[in-house]
Amino acid sequence: MTTDTLPARKRGVSLSALTDNSQIVLIGLLAVLCIGISLAAPQFYSPDNAIAILRQCALVLIVAVGMTMLLVAGEVDLSVGASLAFTGCVAMDVTNRTHSVVLGALAALAFSGAVGLFNGLVVTRLKINSLIATIATMMILQGGVYLYTREAVQNHHLLDAFTAIGAGYVGPVPIPVIIAAVIFAVGYVTLRFTLFGRYLYAVGANLRAARLSGLRAERLKLLAFVITGLLVGVAGLILASLMNAGQPTAGRGFELTVIAAVILGGTSLAGGRGTLFGTLLGVLVLKIVDNGIIILRWNQDLQMVVPGLVIILATWLDIVRRRNDAR
Amino acid sequence: MPQSPSLSASGSASPGLARILFRRSEIGLVVALLAVILFFALASDTFLTVRNLTNVLGQASLAMIAGVGVAIVFISGEVDVSVGSLVAAVAIPLITVMNATESLALGIAAALALGLCVGIVNGFLAAYLGINSLITTLGTLFILRGGVYLYTGQKAIPDDVMLESFFQLGNGRLFEVVPYPALIAFALLLVFAYVMRHRTFGRKVYAVGGNPEVARLAGYDVKRVKFTCFIISSLLATVSGILLASRLGSAVHVAGLGFEFQVVAAVVLGGVSLSGGVGSLFGAALGVLILSFLSNGLGMLDLATEWQLVITGFIIIAAVGFDEWKRRQP
Repeated sequence: MTTDTLPARKRGVSLSALTDNSQIVLIGLLAVLCIGISLAAPQFYSPDNAIAILRQCALVLIVAVGMTMLLVAGEVDLSVGASLAFTGCVAMDVTNRTHSVVLGALAALAFSGAVGLFNGLVVTRLKINSLIATIATMMILQGGVYLYTREAVQNHHLLDAFTAIGAGYVGPVPIPVIIAAVIFAVGYVTLRFTLFGRYLYAVGANLRAARLSGLRAERLKLLAFVITGLLVGVAGLILASLMNAGQPTAGRGFELTVIAAVILGGTSLAGGRGTLFGTLLGVLVLKIVDNGIIILRWNQDLQMVVPGLVIILATWLDIVRRRNDAR
Repeated sequence: MPQSPSLSASGSASPGLARILFRRSEIGLVVALLAVILFFALASDTFLTVRNLTNVLGQASLAMIAGVGVAIVFISGEVDVSVGSLVAAVAIPLITVMNATESLALGIAAALALGLCVGIVNGFLAAYLGINSLITTLGTLFILRGGVYLYTGQKAIPDDVMLESFFQLGNGRLFEVVPYPALIAFALLLVFAYVMRHRTFGRKVYAVGGNPEVARLAGYDVKRVKFTCFIISSLLATVSGILLASRLGSAVHVAGLGFEFQVVAAVVLGGVSLSGGVGSLFGAALGVLILSFLSNGLGMLDLATEWQLVITGFIIIAAVGFDEWKRRQP
């Protein structure tokens, strides 16, 4: 089995998988953040705030699941922010026209899935570096969304079901959080226990070796792009529902937040390394930092500065820790 | 550049003039540039005028100056995406120092000092601490933009002293024809192209980007070379930022949003590989010119401005795809 040689497999599937040593730094950071913020602002631990944080995490986590798969396979997608905005507009527009939430959701998924397919085909068939290919797609989508609609697509259908996708609750838990949790669980099992998931690691770690062992690397990468596209569709639908409009300007910088969270979670840009549990921690750290800045009433512009510092610091700590492990 | 180890490794075996022309990607880029110019010259009456062509050169020069720096970092095998925020950040010390001292030279010195600091931080984190350069510069991209918002309170800082020399820097023209930014860009391009081709430092950058392990065994200080590349990139982006501030007449907090994507796209279009060791500065400059003429020409046709983005995106895919296809041919 080719998969036996993969580093992730060696770590085993026991409890140690959860406290994987590359994630100790992040868990520590998370603990420090929670303790620090709650000392300064006791309302941090209120149920309302916890739910607010989870809701904030949901959107990023949904797309980050796909992005983790892509980075593991050695590719990247910078078009997710632009695609998110466009999908939101498509979802709202189609629901307005058809008065059917199902059709609106299907249209959103079809559109974003097609964007993922396009990205995947450009990268795997034309052999274009995915960083540059998806910058190009980002430009196409940013221009395209304004050709599609000059202003925000307002909610004319007033369907309750549509609003529920983003703003609804099941018991005390917001629906987006449930969707994100399900996607995370499915993604976790896929990446860790299915052949597809293990093959993604193989392709990302050593493309030549994977090809020589008979893996259809191009097809696997294509699939990862389509999955990412579909997940962007889910996130776009939730975003349109939350904002009660399709905003062409939404999602600016979203791609950087997602990539920052995934990388913070220990996934390597070079491919072949990374776990979804790490991604979850990365998303939590970034969003708790965001939340802390808000409830401590610091200047909101720090929401750009602090994550920047956190990404650099966490990556550096990881390097230091790995160097010590090697000794 | 046939003496370059990295280039010969990528395979330029048999001679033959046609083949050499085919392989040298700069030739293909020149052809593409001429095709773009020809197309718009036929499609629009106002495109092929001295006024318009020099305008485009003026606009392209900002991306070209930053592009030279980004290309050097790419060739060394690293990435720098912090330039988008840096062009906005350097305008703050520039304008505030000028407002306080009424001296253009001191303002420029202050801007360059900030650029130097950012370059040192990027280079130290990426080259010496070994943090992936995309993460490092993504981090500084966030930090600088957030810093600009914090400092300015999301408002532009106006230029109160209105120095004529400062205005001329970005908007003036030599003999009323050639914009000064284009001259500065061209001069910087020539200097750095010479350094990259004919000076030891330039060859070291290619060696380090092509194969860091071999470069280290050959006795090069890999970290130091990369460190220097980051400083060059930040200083050149600072020059772009100064010219941009002169054109805008103030320190604008949202200046340069997305500039990093524009520069990276142009540089890669120009044949500079993201994996290091491959590409030339002239190629990068041609990439910038192609995209600039394209966006100007599309603006002249009666198309919605958004079509510019869409068409540019498709052209990047087509051009890079063609380049990759060409490289795979035996």
